[in-house]
Amino acid sequence: MTQITEKQEAREFHAEATSVWRITFGPLLWAVHFVVSYSATAVVCAKGGDVGVLRLGIGIGTFLALAGIAWLGWRAWQQWDTLRNRGWENDTGTSQDRHQFLGHAAFLLAAISFIGVVYVALPPLLIESCQ
Amino acid sequence: MYVHSRNALACLAAAFVLSACDGRQSVLAPSGTDALSVFDLARVMFIGAVVLWLLVGTLFIYVTRINPREMSRRKAEILIVGGGVVFPVLLLGALLVYSLPLMNAPRLADEGLRVHITAEQWWWRVDYELPDGTRIPSANELRLPVGTRTGLVLNAKKVIHSFWVPALGGKTDMIPGRETFQSLQPVTAGVYRGQCAEFCGASHALMAFETVAMEPEDFAAWLEAEARDAQPPATAPARRGAKIFAREGCGGCHTVRGTDAVGQVGPDLTHVGSRKSLAAGILDVTAEDFADWIGHTDAIKPEVAMPSYDFLPREDLAALGIYLEGLK
Repeated sequence: MTQITEKQEAREFHAEATSVWRITFGPLLWAVHFVVSYSATAVVCAKGGDVGVLRLGIGIGTFLALAGIAWLGWRAWQQWDTLRNRGWENDTGTSQDRHQFLGHAAFLLAAISFIGVVYVALPPLLIESCQ
Repeated sequence: MYVHSRNALACLAAAFVLSACDGRQSVLAPSGTDALSVFDLARVMFIGAVVLWLLVGTLFIYVTRINPREMSRRKAEILIVGGGVVFPVLLLGALLVYSLPLMNAPRLADEGLRVHITAEQWWWRVDYELPDGTRIPSANELRLPVGTRTGLVLNAKKVIHSFWVPALGGKTDMIPGRETFQSLQPVTAGVYRGQCAEFCGASHALMAFETVAMEPEDFAAWLEAEARDAQPPATAPARRGAKIFAREGCGGCHTVRGTDAVGQVGPDLTHVGSRKSLAAGILDVTAEDFADWIGHTDAIKPEVAMPSYDFLPREDLAALGIYLEGLK
């Protein structure tokens, strides 16, 4: 009996490996958006490219990044399941707690990534020149 | 001792009040489109900060003194998530959306006139460029027409400086080997003081200039006069001064258009007598101040490139002063 539970635990623990990866995806999108926006701006401004095209590109990239982060955030929100199970702490070491904790962390990281992407995008969208 | 310190305090208070009233070099007395929008932004930020501080303070007193009961979980969650996350994110976002577009105006292109300003140690090379390409060299003073946007093409010779006329607009760094741009649009005629705003060496604090905002027709007349060659010296002492100027080799560094003096090292002196200040905003434009300056450059402006002509007799310095003051 105990052996079966342990095996089951091990399997469920392994299953969470993907969701450990998943919590990094929000910040990863933020990082990619940040690097691409800044380097594209630096290159276009240094080489004298079309600022209008650059701003449009950053606008589209921002929309895609925000959509991706929002989707990740929604998935994480469901995994956290905080409305049904109103506990902020998931500290008992059970597989359900691990599952919910990873959802919780992923949701908060998605939220901060969303804000980060918006704040990174505002200057190029509101300032019209390289100067 | 007590009386002394009280006097000093009174002086300090007076200086504070007077400098605030004067407003020639104050962001609190805006006279240009860009300075006005910065002033508005500062007021919004300041009032907003005060309101927020009072709100948070009141809330703190409420939960610790007035009503120090345990809060329901739901209330606490709303307070933390709402007041700690949602509210600041929305507020900062709104402030960003309001303030970022303000950065566009100072980068707007000029409406015809461009002024090339190159920062030297420690003075300003100024060169007016008309729409037809004509260049009119000047120095240590900036004149702008009221109501139109004038472009300033900024460069620096050797070290980084920063261009700033607080009453007219924000500051822009002047970087050797890299051209920067700012435009200014004064709204009221007047004389405003500019100051180098980036430490640039021993006499950084002594690197200022007067900015004269003029009605468009006055400006056009001034520019026409500025473009002319220097007037020949009118009086005997002035003619003597002109001779000494030539004899001492001043023309090796300075230009006086219409004479043999064509040096490019120091400021253009063609109309130096009609400027509002001498030695980049430090001295008055009087024959005495010219004589003082030429005789004691390093005492007035430490480490300045121009040598002190303290070996010249007083009469020669006085004659030079009369000549230069007459270059209207």
